[in-house]
Amino acid sequence: MTIPSTPAHGSSGAYAAARRQDLRLDLAIGFALLAIAVIIPILSPGKYILGQFTLFFIWACVVTQWNLVFGVAGVYSLAQMAVFFLGGYAAAMLGFYLEISIWYGAWVGAVFAVFVSVVIGAATLRLQGPYVLLLTLAIAVVIQALVQSDVNCFFYEGKICYPLTGGPRGLMKFGDLGFRDWLAYKQAPLGTYYLGLLLLVINTIFAFVIIKSPFGSAFRALRDNQPLASSRGIARVKYQILVFALSGFFTGLMGSVYAGHFRTIGPALLDLDLLLFLFSMLVVGGLGSRWGPIIGCIIIMVANELMKDLGEWRMIAFGAITVAFIVLLREGVVGVIQSVWRGYIVPRVPWLSDVRRSGLAE
Amino acid sequence: MDDSAHEPLLSCRGVFKYFGAMAAVDDLNLDVQQGEVLGIGGPNGAGKTTLFDVISGLNPASAGTITFDGNDITKANPVQICHAGLSRTYQLNAAFETLPVRENILCASYYGPRNVFFPKLRFDREAQRITDEVLEFTELLDYEMVIARELPVLQRKLLMIASALATRPRLLLLDEPVGGLNVDEIEVVMALVRRMREDRPLTVILIEHVMRFLVALSDRVVVMHHGSKIYEGLAEGLTKDQTVVDVYLGEGAARRLEHIIDEELHHGHDAS
Ligand SMILES: Nc1ncnc2c1ncn2[C@@H]1O[C@H](COP(=O)(O)OP(=O)(O)O)[C@@H](O)[C@H]1O
Ligand SMILES: [Mg+2]
Repeated sequence: MTIPSTPAHGSSGAYAAARRQDLRLDLAIGFALLAIAVIIPILSPGKYILGQFTLFFIWACVVTQWNLVFGVAGVYSLAQMAVFFLGGYAAAMLGFYLEISIWYGAWVGAVFAVFVSVVIGAATLRLQGPYVLLLTLAIAVVIQALVQSDVNCFFYEGKICYPLTGGPRGLMKFGDLGFRDWLAYKQAPLGTYYLGLLLLVINTIFAFVIIKSPFGSAFRALRDNQPLASSRGIARVKYQILVFALSGFFTGLMGSVYAGHFRTIGPALLDLDLLLFLFSMLVVGGLGSRWGPIIGCIIIMVANELMKDLGEWRMIAFGAITVAFIVLLREGVVGVIQSVWRGYIVPRVPWLSDVRRSGLAE
Repeated sequence: MDDSAHEPLLSCRGVFKYFGAMAAVDDLNLDVQQGEVLGIGGPNGAGKTTLFDVISGLNPASAGTITFDGNDITKANPVQICHAGLSRTYQLNAAFETLPVRENILCASYYGPRNVFFPKLRFDREAQRITDEVLEFTELLDYEMVIARELPVLQRKLLMIASALATRPRLLLLDEPVGGLNVDEIEVVMALVRRMREDRPLTVILIEHVMRFLVALSDRVVVMHHGSKIYEGLAEGLTKDQTVVDVYLGEGAARRLEHIIDEELHHGHDAS
């Protein structure tokens, strides 16, 4: 086969330029968001708002990792909260029974979550699309039922009976992150705030690197066309297990941070309400996109605040929003922003239009 | 002494593929020599695509043996077969739909040529180089940023071939590479297949309904019907074989084909 040698002008130029441009954009958005997040506590917004932000950091991490499996690799797993829960539970159990600090337990929780995630990933290997949804939802429901129905006394404290897992009430008194001891009482929420922020930054970089690397390409290739991917040397089993393992680590770590932050963890974390809440973040932001999880998380948490008075109707509203996005706006808010950018802004701004920017896959 | 030179690159011996009780591939024997282009024709449902599925490991044979370059690949999976140097395209416009053209090809040039035990964080230089070459070779350079699902039909077909070439195959299986293209577009793909063979002897098996394409490019033609081979030989013999005319070509098409073959023989391949 006559394959001419690489032309001098370097054909990969346009693609490499687009990648560099994406990186600059990512850094700009990232630093802007980071600056805002660093400044917020200085404006002393009050304990409630700080707490909501800390929760936002945790959920944004969880949804970012979920996006790797669900959006990037296209494996429709609903077991994300089960991985989160079991990671956090492992750390909480270690704290409760062995009095191991959550700071150490969290790593065990993360590794345990990788194990759990890999098992779930392996269980879904033979299934496609909707069947993966059913199986993974069933796994989450079964884990919740197992913990909730655990009422046999494992030990007594005085006259009170405690099941091994804490049962429906979950676990408490397993220690916390310790900010209360290190910082003045009023400053303690700042500790978890900045810890959450730091973890979100690390977690986001981790996810972005994966999405942009050959790992991400392999995951997307398998999502788009599995037989073709295998005919191009990409083994489904290997990369499906790998994506579950990669996403399991931070998911489990954040589960432990959640436990340490709230000083309690229980089977209510596996409620469908919460799953739907996080799922709407994933879908509204844009499945498979880099910024989708964080943007979706911001939108849904703000919406949640605004709809506070609606009570039960809130979940219905989130359900409706999710369905509307799946049906009408497949690519989520990020997809809308991208098409406005490419279709409207780039052609009208002369110095942008000469950069051939048809954008990368994510 | 010089036996190895005549050893076929691909050899199918008594290959069957059953779907339930139906034999989609029925006791097929096929040898493909190093460097030749074998064309496979036959009516819809003859089992041509199924044969490719069997050879490429997507849907393993029910019985029989397939050897590639002397190795038994009957039970190998598609990933192993790709790494062994056998690459295929799919009949339906198959690409990684949401990925840009360049990333489509990078996937093939990075994961295709050999087993990647654990990927790096960037596509290596070799993969980038192969991708540049293949993009240039298939005239897709101007499309490298376009998302596959937004490609015009000709470029989709070229992308499928480019992605197969990027795994550095020694044997290339093309499943209806010009299906759905107009006459001018067919010329483009035809010129590409000819260019592929110019330098080194890439071996090709191509399935095609467009007889002009099949006849012009193939050194040898096989016609399949009901999973079996009903003809094997030079393209010139097709129109003289009554079975082929009856079950596949029909009288009218056979006459037109005779014309095309005549032209091919007299004008040669001077287009390339
Ligand atoms: N996965 C499958 N399951 C059942 N039957 C199949 C399958 N794939 C192909 N067939 C059948 O096998 C026969 C051969 O199909 P195919 O190989 O696609 O034919 P061709 O490519 O020659 O048109 C057809 O009758 C088709 O219906
Ligand atoms: Mg076919």
